[in-house]
Amino acid sequence: MKKVYLLIFLISISLIAEGKNPLESPMFDTLIKSIVNETNYVFDNQNIIIKVPDFADNPVQVPIFVDGTKIKNAKRLILITDYNPIPNIIDIKLYNLLPIFSTNIKIAQGTPLRVLILDDKNIWHIGSKNIKSNGGGCDISSQISKNNEFEDFLGKIKIQLFDKDNSTKIKSSIFHPMETGLVFGTTEFYINKITLKTNNNLLAEMSLTQVISENPRFIFETKEKIDNLTINFFDINGNNFNEKIEK
Amino acid sequence: MKFLFLLIYLYSYSISNEFIFQLNPIKLMPNSYYFYGKEEYFSTKNGGDIANTSFIITKSSVILIDTGSSELYGKQIKNAISKITSKPIKYIINTHHHPDHFLGNSAFTNSNIYASKFTKEEIENNGELYITNLTNLVNEAISNTKVKAPNQILNSKELDFDGYKLKVLYLDGHTKSDVAIYDEKTKILYASDLIFNKRTMATPHANINKWIASLKELKNIDFKLSVPGHGVAFENKSVIDENINYLRYLDNTLKNSAKKGLDIFEILNLPIPKEFNNFTMFKEEFERSVINLYPTYEEELN
Repeated sequence: MKKVYLLIFLISISLIAEGKNPLESPMFDTLIKSIVNETNYVFDNQNIIIKVPDFADNPVQVPIFVDGTKIKNAKRLILITDYNPIPNIIDIKLYNLLPIFSTNIKIAQGTPLRVLILDDKNIWHIGSKNIKSNGGGCDISSQISKNNEFEDFLGKIKIQLFDKDNSTKIKSSIFHPMETGLVFGTTEFYINKITLKTNNNLLAEMSLTQVISENPRFIFETKEKIDNLTINFFDINGNNFNEKIEK
Repeated sequence: MKFLFLLIYLYSYSISNEFIFQLNPIKLMPNSYYFYGKEEYFSTKNGGDIANTSFIITKSSVILIDTGSSELYGKQIKNAISKITSKPIKYIINTHHHPDHFLGNSAFTNSNIYASKFTKEEIENNGELYITNLTNLVNEAISNTKVKAPNQILNSKELDFDGYKLKVLYLDGHTKSDVAIYDEKTKILYASDLIFNKRTMATPHANINKWIASLKELKNIDFKLSVPGHGVAFENKSVIDENINYLRYLDNTLKNSAKKGLDIFEILNLPIPKEFNNFTMFKEEFERSVINLYPTYEEELN
């Protein structure tokens, strides 16, 4: 009988643990409704690995890393922050990509970072991690757009492919100011869409915002090995920058 | 009665409400001292007391090397020095443009403040920005601090302060201009932030190759004692080798990681070599260095 009580006790603990937001914030409920538009989600820090600096010294370049590969057949990966003036960071449709992602972001103040991963049963898994910082990142205008030569480099793309056991890691960067438009006297100017293709098959497509740092750097990982990649970056001024790499 | 005094003392303390630095000058030679800064990052608790500040008492005056991170710190070292000597602090040297080394300048109204041309310009251009950033980190201790730029440009290899001579070494690597001071009389080398003693090196404006070259140059000096920018004063030149080894480790790690395509957090998870186990602040400084420097290594690869 004692064992049964213990069992009930343990189950109830685990249920509470699953239902509780590990990082409470007044913004979260509104944000989550506006983005996933449903209540079918679970807090799942166990299956989503999120890495951020211990202290984000430089608020305009905060590296973040996400690994949600424990969630099988993930379909979509969304990143948001609770306290940035623009909460959305990126929304990736993971056709042939694993839920692994890394980039640098700007933060206006210390904030929880939320990783939303949609599984094949249409349940959203939410990972949370706090970023500690003094902030200020969204109030600072792009450094490179003040550089007179930046137009010569605008849209310059770098791609590298690294083979892993069963997959390929993609590292790519592009020269772009990613201007937020939040600073008086500046106009927003940023990459808002990226597509990744191999042999003309779509690996993933994504929409992103000016929360991503200037001269953005990205890491993705494919579900299967690839030997060529075409990447397209589209910005809000209608530019389409692209580059192809073959091994 | 004693109790009453204590009450009055506590009351007056609560009115002034000023941050109190625990400043105890450490004597290196009969007339050479330094204030040891905590091996920590800026915080409200340490009030920004994180870098070493040195002073030399000469026949008629006091020479101060660096001034700390706030006017309040400057005032309190001035007070601590006045308990040792009544001679005026006539000469100040700012070794480089980092805020933990020059923001105490405004506490000194009648002193000539010396720095290299680059350091002077950096202080004039970015001093306010440093204050804004530090206000968030250290809070009350930095209030009232104003930028006071050096009024004298250093360019000679030897200084003569009322007959007291010092050698000036114009080096770089920690920043674009790092000034080290060598006192031939006492054989003390004031190494500025070119040397960190068992305290992990800070690299926000570093050029690793130039820094290593500067360290090699410092190693050739026949010093008996050296005050580093951070960490305790030391005699043994092996401290310089440790610094070179750390910079080489950082450089090689970033190069190899870029080749392998590692992300920043994979680098941060690499095992730490045993030789750096006794460095303070390893985790936080290594993290800051990797985040700041890695993108340039990734660029160079293509």
